[in-house]
Amino acid sequence: MYLKTGVTPSASGSAYLEIETSAKPGVSGMKLSCSVHGPRALPRSAPFSPHVVLSTHVKYAPFATTQRRGYLRDPSERDLGIHLEAALRGAIIADRWPKSGVDIIISIVEGDQDRETSRSQGDEVWDMMNALSGCITVAAAALADAGIDCVDTVAGGVAALVQAAGDDSKPSIVVDPIPSEHEKILAACCIAYLPTRDEVTNLWFRGDLPASELELYTHMVEKGILASRNANRVLIDCLRETVE
Amino acid sequence: MSRHQYVRNLDYQDAMDEFEGFSEEEDELSPEDRALMNQGVADVQAALGVEASKVTVAQIEESLWHYYYDIDKTVTYLTSKFINPRPKATKPAPQQPNGKSVTSTIDFAPAGLSLELDLHPNWATKCLGLTDDAIPAPRARPSLSHFFRDMPWGNIPKHRETTFIPPPAAPGGLLGGSGAPPKMSKLQALAAARKKKAEEKNAVNDKVEQARMGVKELSVKEPLADKANLSTAGPFSKRLKTSESAAQDRVAPTFATQPTQPEPAQPVEVAKAPEDELPLAKAQPSAFAQSLFGSSSNTRKSEAPRDELPDIQAQHFAPPKIDFPFCVGKAPKPTPTSIELGPAFELSKRKRDDSEGYETTVVLYPNLPQFVRDNFAQPSPDDIVLAAQAQAKGKAGQKTTAQPKKKGTQSTEAVTAGVNELKIDDAPLPKSRNLDVLSEFEKSKSKKTASFVVVGHVDAGKSTMMGRLLLDLKVVDQRTVDRLRKEAETIGKSSFALAWVLDQRSEERSRGVTIDVATNRFETEHTAFTILDAPGHQDFIPNMIAGASQADFAILVIDASTGAFESGLKGQTREHSLLIRSMGVSRVIVAVNKLDMVAWSQERFNEIKDQMSGFLSSANFQHKNIAFVPVSGLQGDNLVRRSSDPAASWYTGPTLVEELENSEPNARALASPLRMTISEVYRTMQSPVTVSGRIDAGSLQMGDAILIQPSGEKAYVKSILADDAPVDWAVAGQNVVLHLSHVDPAHVRVADIICDPAKPIPRADTFTLKALAFDFLMPMQVDVHRGRLHAAGRIEAIPALLDKVTGSVIKKKPKIVKPATVARIVVKLDGLVPLEAGQRVVLRSGGQTVAAGLLE
Repeated sequence: MYLKTGVTPSASGSAYLEIETSAKPGVSGMKLSCSVHGPRALPRSAPFSPHVVLSTHVKYAPFATTQRRGYLRDPSERDLGIHLEAALRGAIIADRWPKSGVDIIISIVEGDQDRETSRSQGDEVWDMMNALSGCITVAAAALADAGIDCVDTVAGGVAALVQAAGDDSKPSIVVDPIPSEHEKILAACCIAYLPTRDEVTNLWFRGDLPASELELYTHMVEKGILASRNANRVLIDCLRETVE
Repeated sequence: MSRHQYVRNLDYQDAMDEFEGFSEEEDELSPEDRALMNQGVADVQAALGVEASKVTVAQIEESLWHYYYDIDKTVTYLTSKFINPRPKATKPAPQQPNGKSVTSTIDFAPAGLSLELDLHPNWATKCLGLTDDAIPAPRARPSLSHFFRDMPWGNIPKHRETTFIPPPAAPGGLLGGSGAPPKMSKLQALAAARKKKAEEKNAVNDKVEQARMGVKELSVKEPLADKANLSTAGPFSKRLKTSESAAQDRVAPTFATQPTQPEPAQPVEVAKAPEDELPLAKAQPSAFAQSLFGSSSNTRKSEAPRDELPDIQAQHFAPPKIDFPFCVGKAPKPTPTSIELGPAFELSKRKRDDSEGYETTVVLYPNLPQFVRDNFAQPSPDDIVLAAQAQAKGKAGQKTTAQPKKKGTQSTEAVTAGVNELKIDDAPLPKSRNLDVLSEFEKSKSKKTASFVVVGHVDAGKSTMMGRLLLDLKVVDQRTVDRLRKEAETIGKSSFALAWVLDQRSEERSRGVTIDVATNRFETEHTAFTILDAPGHQDFIPNMIAGASQADFAILVIDASTGAFESGLKGQTREHSLLIRSMGVSRVIVAVNKLDMVAWSQERFNEIKDQMSGFLSSANFQHKNIAFVPVSGLQGDNLVRRSSDPAASWYTGPTLVEELENSEPNARALASPLRMTISEVYRTMQSPVTVSGRIDAGSLQMGDAILIQPSGEKAYVKSILADDAPVDWAVAGQNVVLHLSHVDPAHVRVADIICDPAKPIPRADTFTLKALAFDFLMPMQVDVHRGRLHAAGRIEAIPALLDKVTGSVIKKKPKIVKPATVARIVVKLDGLVPLEAGQRVVLRSGGQTVAAGLLE
């Protein structure tokens, strides 16, 4: 995981995140770049808002994935944007900037993993979870770079319940899963977590688990928090490095 | 401190106490109250039983006082508040209504605001302490499984689900009055004005504070701890400081959330859960990131110029060095003063070195080999092109600015002309006279109109006979026929001269067959007739169907010469007569043609008459509706005038024209909604969209709005031509030409249906029809013909076989339909087609008519 802030001079804050996966030599991981513009005055036409209006855009670069993406945002990208907004809204002290807006623009320069495998598995939502956790972390770094007040640095983490090859093996929970490495992903959750406050700002859970196994749910959330805490350490480290 | 701040820090409790002027409520109790209270306490303690030990007497008295000595309520309150619920709450929180207790936790946001100035160093060290920590130490928390104890994970039980009731909308404004939008009351206006004033004041205050902050930042004598703090705040806030934001003084990285809460005293390892003990997942930048951000240095690119500040300053006094590498490793370590420089200063520094051209010497990627850098020393091809374009644009711009001055008047004229041309069809809607067409029609007492179709086997002499008829009725003058004869002789087809009266297309003339339906009209004493001369060739049956659909009755022309009749009976004579019958033509006049070729043989005539009578009655023609006339189309015998040939004197019946006049046309559906099938679309001077066709039902007049189906476009009738003369209205049965307006020609095609916009003809792609089979029918591809319209489709299903006479179901779901039986079939078309119940359609397949029937 490599994180760097202040990469886009024209933006008020920006960050670049790189997550390397050790999956295959040909696959180099995920590269995200985030720029934060604002807080700036809302357009005259916008209605009054007592707190900052957050708008998030997540866009895959057309070349980011094996399947070429269009230039227009597709529903999955919109979805990512909405999740990201929910995750950041809990971290930003929004009422310090009435009547102003913050634009957070994330471009996914290289989408994680080889999407072919995830497609063959029938669901690319697992990849979206990884992308979202990266988006949350990089956006938090960019927000800090922009000097926008936050209650804490928020970071994303993913935990997944995976089943290894062979049907009889017991499913296990892994942190920061790589869909291509596992035979089958039963469920996954992406968590945005504030470590100092011990708060979860966004929880995205997906999968088909029996409702009776409450333990499993809490374990996954716990692992997700662990993942996001690890990401947060990198984030803090990077920010401190920048400050020094 | 500003008034604003003062108001914020005001202790309302104190103020209240002073105002109220009494301190303790317990002392105010009267003896009666005291007695009541004691009694109540005893009661409550009794009611609580064992639990009574969990609450103090003071709490009981407190709640009793509040509930006016109501024992039940007090017990419930105490149980819920102190005995049963969360253990946290059992700690006796002093519940004095006017208690002097100050809330021990300060809400973070306002505290941050109010304390920021006064407690700055203190706050700053706290912040610093936090950022110095490896991880923001998390609070020790209860296990997650406890936290999620009651989480149903999506399976929310019914009783827990909530019903959302929309909050009642506040009316706003003044009460009462009209339904006009709410007015602002004077009081509201006053409040708004006051609020605005306060905000302005606030902004001024903020500016003052901001200035003070700026001074503080710039001062060199600041304590060292404060400097360090500022350095942490600097990079985050520096961009914002350049902007004129009112919130500037608040900009600070606030990762610490509860400043008032003491930091966990215990070491980090204890607070940390064991799962946190993973290695820091930090990686070196990839090759991509390295090339993006230069070398793998820890310093930011944007910081670099600032780091070099001392150098630059030195260069102002020293002769400038040419080589000034960007490479950060060489940069001297920044001194504390350089860090503290305000952003404004920093900006001016950058500008200065811009002007002095240091920017050009900056080596962007020092790690790259020299030859690569050389490659990029020259302007790129793109740059060259862009520069050239910019130059060209500049020149072009000059030109365009020069031109209008020279010939301003000309260009304006051109523009006005262009605008005039641009005008789209904004002609006013055609005015309707709002006539009652039906009563007009009653009053007009015009001649009967009738149209008939001439059908028969190919080369039976249909067109020639009609040409002769028109000549004899003086519709066509002799000179025209002579001219045609001359032309026909030049290509060796002199006998076709009369046919050419109707066959006017060059292709028809050269081939000697009619291809499309030709229309012409003539009038007798009582009736105006429209001739529809149909093609006899089997390749053009669709056109014949189109003609037959417009006709009231038919003339079936039969070639009486030897062999021709027999071949005709197997060919199109038979097919045509079946078709006209299924198209709804009930009266047929059989013209036995070319009898002069068999020397007006009566036997031949009778033979044909017998055979045809038998055939036609089998095809459901009623006997009284069949008439036979022996004629000679070429000579004109028995057409208009009686035959002068003595050999033909045996015939004493009416001539063909007399037979025509005897025929009663079908009843017109005048009152039903307008339906008109378009048989031709063309341009005329009057209108770019001129259509011709026969009104099938209803009536129309000038200025009417009409709907064209299947395109669904609306149009207006600009004018109507009937019999080449302009008229104000037209009714069913008439062949008319309509000039349309306000419609794009693209939406009007042959075989479309013009209908009443109020009662449009429905469009469908599937229909059921009661069909008479001429051939074996099974689920198969068919062409559906209805008038001019023909569309491809297929027979989807055959729900029933019907009785020919009664129409009752004989057999359900037959696999196949035999010829000459009636069946109900379902046909699906490829596209939407305007269709209506009661219309007659013909199904053809492979060039053969396979069925004809009535839409249900």
